[in-house]
Amino acid sequence: MSTATATANVFGSEVPQPAQHGQPGGIMRRLNFVTGLIGGLALATIAGVVTNILTPSGASTATFAPAAPDYVYLAVLLGWVIGFMAGMGAFVGPIRWLLGRDITHADAEYLAGKDLGWKRYWKFTTDHKVVGVQYLIMVMIILGFGGLLAMLIRTELGVTWAEVFSPSFYNSIIGTHGIAMIIGMIIVVMGPIANFIVPIMIGARDMAFPRLNALSLWLLVAATPCLISSLFQGGVQDGWSVYQPLASQGPPGMLGYQMTIIVFAFSTGVASVNLMVTTLTMRAKGMTWSRTPILVYGVFAAALMGLYAFPFYQYSQILAMSDRIFNTSFFDPLEGGSVWLYENLFWLLGHPEVYVIIIPSAAVLMEILPVFYRKPLFSFNFAVAGIVGVVALSGLVWAHHMYMTGWAPAVNYPFMLSTEMISIPVGFLVLVAIGTMWRGVVWTRLPVMAIYAVIFNKMIGGVTGIYLSDVPVDQYMHGSMFVVAHFHYMLMGAGLFGAMGGVAFYFSKMTGRMLDERAGSIGLWTAFVGFQITFGSMFVAGLQGQPRRVLQFDSLFNISNWISTIGAYIIGIGMLIFLGAIISSWMYGEKATSNPFGSKSLEWQTPTPVPLENFAVLPVVTEKPYDYGVPDPYQKELAAVDGDFDTQKVGSQS
Amino acid sequence: MSAETHQPLSPTTGEPMTTIARRAKAGLWTLIVMDVSGTLALIISYTYLWSLNVNGGWAPPGASLTDAQTNAVPAKSSATFAADWPFWAIFGIVVLATIAMWFGYREGKRGNHAGLIVGAGAALLISIGGLVAQWMQISTFPFGAGNGAYASAVLLLCASNIFHFLMLIFLLTGIFNRARKGLINKSVYFQAQLMSYWMVWICIAFLLGALCTTFLQVSPNTDPAIFGTFQQQQ
Repeated sequence: MSTATATANVFGSEVPQPAQHGQPGGIMRRLNFVTGLIGGLALATIAGVVTNILTPSGASTATFAPAAPDYVYLAVLLGWVIGFMAGMGAFVGPIRWLLGRDITHADAEYLAGKDLGWKRYWKFTTDHKVVGVQYLIMVMIILGFGGLLAMLIRTELGVTWAEVFSPSFYNSIIGTHGIAMIIGMIIVVMGPIANFIVPIMIGARDMAFPRLNALSLWLLVAATPCLISSLFQGGVQDGWSVYQPLASQGPPGMLGYQMTIIVFAFSTGVASVNLMVTTLTMRAKGMTWSRTPILVYGVFAAALMGLYAFPFYQYSQILAMSDRIFNTSFFDPLEGGSVWLYENLFWLLGHPEVYVIIIPSAAVLMEILPVFYRKPLFSFNFAVAGIVGVVALSGLVWAHHMYMTGWAPAVNYPFMLSTEMISIPVGFLVLVAIGTMWRGVVWTRLPVMAIYAVIFNKMIGGVTGIYLSDVPVDQYMHGSMFVVAHFHYMLMGAGLFGAMGGVAFYFSKMTGRMLDERAGSIGLWTAFVGFQITFGSMFVAGLQGQPRRVLQFDSLFNISNWISTIGAYIIGIGMLIFLGAIISSWMYGEKATSNPFGSKSLEWQTPTPVPLENFAVLPVVTEKPYDYGVPDPYQKELAAVDGDFDTQKVGSQS
Repeated sequence: MSAETHQPLSPTTGEPMTTIARRAKAGLWTLIVMDVSGTLALIISYTYLWSLNVNGGWAPPGASLTDAQTNAVPAKSSATFAADWPFWAIFGIVVLATIAMWFGYREGKRGNHAGLIVGAGAALLISIGGLVAQWMQISTFPFGAGNGAYASAVLLLCASNIFHFLMLIFLLTGIFNRARKGLINKSVYFQAQLMSYWMVWICIAFLLGALCTTFLQVSPNTDPAIFGTFQQQQ
């Protein structure tokens, strides 16, 4: 059925519309998470059965292992990803474009979830706020899964008198924990907060490419079962970095890891494109770069690093998969390959990824500080310079992970220098935070407590990082628990605690409910104490010489491992309390006002819950974002131009 | 069309199409950055393995090299390097397709709608021809995937070409169809413009591959690192 609509009223303009085919949304009305599951499972089953039939009996891989499990598992993974995405409706948009069936305003509103209520969270919804909430839930699932594996690891290491798991399963949970946490940490700010907050913060109605936004989220959803399934196929037994040639010789579970990374890197790539273009082209009128909030800089920087670095990681896994499936020899030295090639490709992402995690977290904290200290951000330009400096140096430090591999010893010292240099722009960010706090009158709420935790952790993680960047120290510490403690201080201590502060800050805007800060604070500080116990003790074990990724160890390390395990359980309790605060507040919390913290930036000037189109009339920015002490920089102007946002009724959704 | 501005407006957001075009152009540049990184990963892999010649295993086993070039590793089969000309022929095909698309875009911008359709259609047909040629090249290589690092690197470069061809064919089909339906026209031509830009990058990607496979065949490393003795004892 084709019912041509002449025009539609789109934000006040009468706009000619393409032909409306059927009801708004078309086939997307029938597609959702359930059809995605059905599509994924059906295609995975078909692909697995057909591949099993077609694989010659007795076929073997390059390492003389039976080939059928590899081929069948890969076919199942591919079938799952393609079938799931098709079932979700990810291919409908490109096919409509191909056929020249452009969507109408009514289609776009349906796709954005208008009037769909809770069902919009189970569909390929394009509204950035829905995607942000979906990301928040995915982050909690992924970090919860990774955290559970961490508890298993610490249980094994704490029970020094017995072997709880088999060595191969222990190796699997180490590797799976590592990559699950890395993925979770990469998206913990870039997913929920960047997607939900940044478009509103810059005065836009949505992201630049709403369908790409939904695509990035659902690709992540498709990738997650690939990783979990690897545990049932022998697991990822070589740590999260899955060095070659061990990985090629590992069980089929490696293919689950590789598929996860290939899909996740694509998800991150399209998300980066979207965030960058949104920032570059959709900032409100008057929002010059000097009036752009620091969170936007942080998100833009992380997206840029992800954009150039993730393809290297993705291709390292494509080449590894090719070695395994097609018998190529990129990483097989006997046939002219090189394991150093893998390590270079891997770490070309591997280190920028640390900043992809830390910079957005730091930017969130710099966003929080002026609000609760009622002071302008100390040296905004310094903060921007710090972020730019990190981006500039991020691609020049990767080989500090390879000091001990024997690769090009002559370049160890240049990489040592570049690694030490990057501590300077990172230090800028800490100084900006401390400068903002200096002589401020603090309003101590949960987000501020997270900042204290981050500064403490970052100081320890940063200083130990400078040690480890030095070649002579690294020669002694490499592969020890000291390194494990160091990167947990950076990624978890700075990254995750920062993200907890960010979630606490933006919770009311994202959910429409106030977070139970009492329970949240108890959770945060419990986790903080547990964190110090766990990783402080791990520093000691590392200095004593305990190697990482080792199941059994000398009794010399027993005490520090017992302490670490007790600390880990305390972290687990703290995180559960924090999670409980989030869930209970989301369900039963006090309804939030539009701007409970009195922030001056744009996202807080919209009603809560935020209406579908964010702003009835696009705002005009006339002041810097942190002009606390100057009366009402936005409200003054906006009220004059557009009226009071807080009181406007613009079709909000529950 | 808005009565005030007389500019075409986006049916979904109500913004001027020039705004949508600017946004799409920024999106294209960022996508190109992403694809450049991926292509560079392959080029780095090729040049890295070529320069190291680990275990003397870079060249296909039957390539006519001196003992010094192979470090006296015995040949296992008669596989040799691939011929140069097919890489350049395929590169030429992509350049032709790009010229056709540019012609179409320029004509469309000038208001010659038929020229746009002809240009996009020609680019599409040429790209399909390129895909077939690429497939034929792969299926007639004198080596298999397991014949050393050179074979691996060349095959993955060709696989990357196939991926690019498939994308080109999908996008050009869309451009052709949309031009035919009048959705790309003198007023709204940014999709054809972006397609032309994208194809220039694709030409560069193919050129990089062809340069590697032509000029970086025999490894310069005549004293490669030897790991293990498995291969030498054969």
